[in-house]
Amino acid sequence: MTTTFAMPLGPVHVALEEPVYFHLTVEGETVRNVELTSGHVHRGMEAMAAKRNFIKNVTLVERVCSLCSNSHSFTYCMVVENALGMGIPPRARYLRVLAEEIKRVASHLFNLAIQAHIIGFKSLFMHVMEVREIMQDLKETVYGNRMNLAANCIGGVKYDVNPEMLEYIRKTIDKIEPMAEEIREIYATNNLVLTRTDGLGLLPKEDALALGVVGPVARGSDVRVDVRKDSPYAAYPELTFNSIFEKGCCVHSRAMVRLHELFESFGLIRQCVERIPDGPCVAEWKSVGVAEATAHTEAPRGEVFYYIRTDGTDTPARLKWRVPSYMNWKALSVMMRDCKVADVALILNSVDPCVSCTER
Amino acid sequence: MQETIQGNASVIEGLTALCPGDGVRHSADAYGNAYHWFHLENPHKMTMAAPLLKQAGARLCMISAYNPEQKEALKELCYHFDIAGIVYNVTLTITGEWPNVESITPLFANADWHEREMMELLGVPITGHPKPTRLFLDEELDAGILNEVVPLSVMMNGASTTDLWERILKDKEQKA
Repeated sequence: MTTTFAMPLGPVHVALEEPVYFHLTVEGETVRNVELTSGHVHRGMEAMAAKRNFIKNVTLVERVCSLCSNSHSFTYCMVVENALGMGIPPRARYLRVLAEEIKRVASHLFNLAIQAHIIGFKSLFMHVMEVREIMQDLKETVYGNRMNLAANCIGGVKYDVNPEMLEYIRKTIDKIEPMAEEIREIYATNNLVLTRTDGLGLLPKEDALALGVVGPVARGSDVRVDVRKDSPYAAYPELTFNSIFEKGCCVHSRAMVRLHELFESFGLIRQCVERIPDGPCVAEWKSVGVAEATAHTEAPRGEVFYYIRTDGTDTPARLKWRVPSYMNWKALSVMMRDCKVADVALILNSVDPCVSCTER
Repeated sequence: MQETIQGNASVIEGLTALCPGDGVRHSADAYGNAYHWFHLENPHKMTMAAPLLKQAGARLCMISAYNPEQKEALKELCYHFDIAGIVYNVTLTITGEWPNVESITPLFANADWHEREMMELLGVPITGHPKPTRLFLDEELDAGILNEVVPLSVMMNGASTTDLWERILKDKEQKA
């Protein structure tokens, strides 16, 4: 006789970064079904955005999430600019990409570190966090803050960099790159890492397409989605980089996508440092009319999508956004099908979930 | 110079046929990325628009619900789709004449959360959803449980305004 049990996991759990409540149906050690309840950190941010003016909302949306905070202010500024019919100066386009790619490196390293932590590879966890700290120092030096960079504003950017700062950024990338290469080698070849991650949490390409997943989760299942290439924005059309795809469809593939992407980001940061044009950092505002617009960008976890409606006042009539994690949660039911209970946290981490993003 | 409309011609034609004369517009951002906007004649037309988009390989990016008049009975839903990096926005208006909208989750699996969120948080009437359970609040919690809580702002204002007292009286009348 087959007997299944309902097993609660969360909302607070040692291997979950944020509160989310899983309802697992298990048969012995094997997971047969996954349902989840969210809502523990819902802050009503979309409603708050409709009570604040356009400028105040830059600060608000940067607080939707910490790891991809810059992607929110970036995409929000883009959607307002689209509604107002504005462009931004060339220098600002490069400075936006610079901030975004610096954040991407730090975000990917954080996810990889947590994977090592869940596996129980403590020395690797500590090492990756130590390397990530170099990027945190860089953020603090350039932007004055470790997480919320406050780099973007409507019409451009709020910060500028002088030649000395650009040289410091270049040297920092030169320093971190060989360390990241060493880390990539460990994830690609270490037996402990491969035994726990290779072939685990499968998301076949057809399921990835049907579920509309985004970011490294999609690209780890060979789904060709990268907003930076598909709908080029900011300085990306002028810069050379590759989108990374893996065909393994498993936890290991998703980690390798992030690891390879580190090096694409290093290349993008270097190109920004070398090619950044002179000129102003912010454009003149245009008057606000009645309009609606959308904008999307490629955040570290995948596509961030914003929609705005304006009614001629200084406050959005409606501001709605969808974060990458929102699209990726559903894929867990495929990834965790028939996995072991012990692997649930590891598979969950492979989608690089963000609960505060999802719930807003 | 004549501007070229970027995008999938058959999708643009198909969606245009579902809209009234002034229900279609095209725009582009500062980088030349195209955005298409379609306002459907009525919510039922979504049952024709969704298969057309699915067939063209569209990816659902998001659904935005908006209440332009701040009235319960009038809501607009804007469905945002992506085909090869071009965004197709399809809007429908829920009115007294057309009070419901059909779920697109059977066609676009990732509409599931969007539709459940709209049903739970905004009260959007969606029919035919394969699993219309709550997304955020656990099913064991009573419906409208958050309405039982007196917000801090109302509580604080209770000292200088009549809002809180009027609410208590209203609750008392309802219970009686």
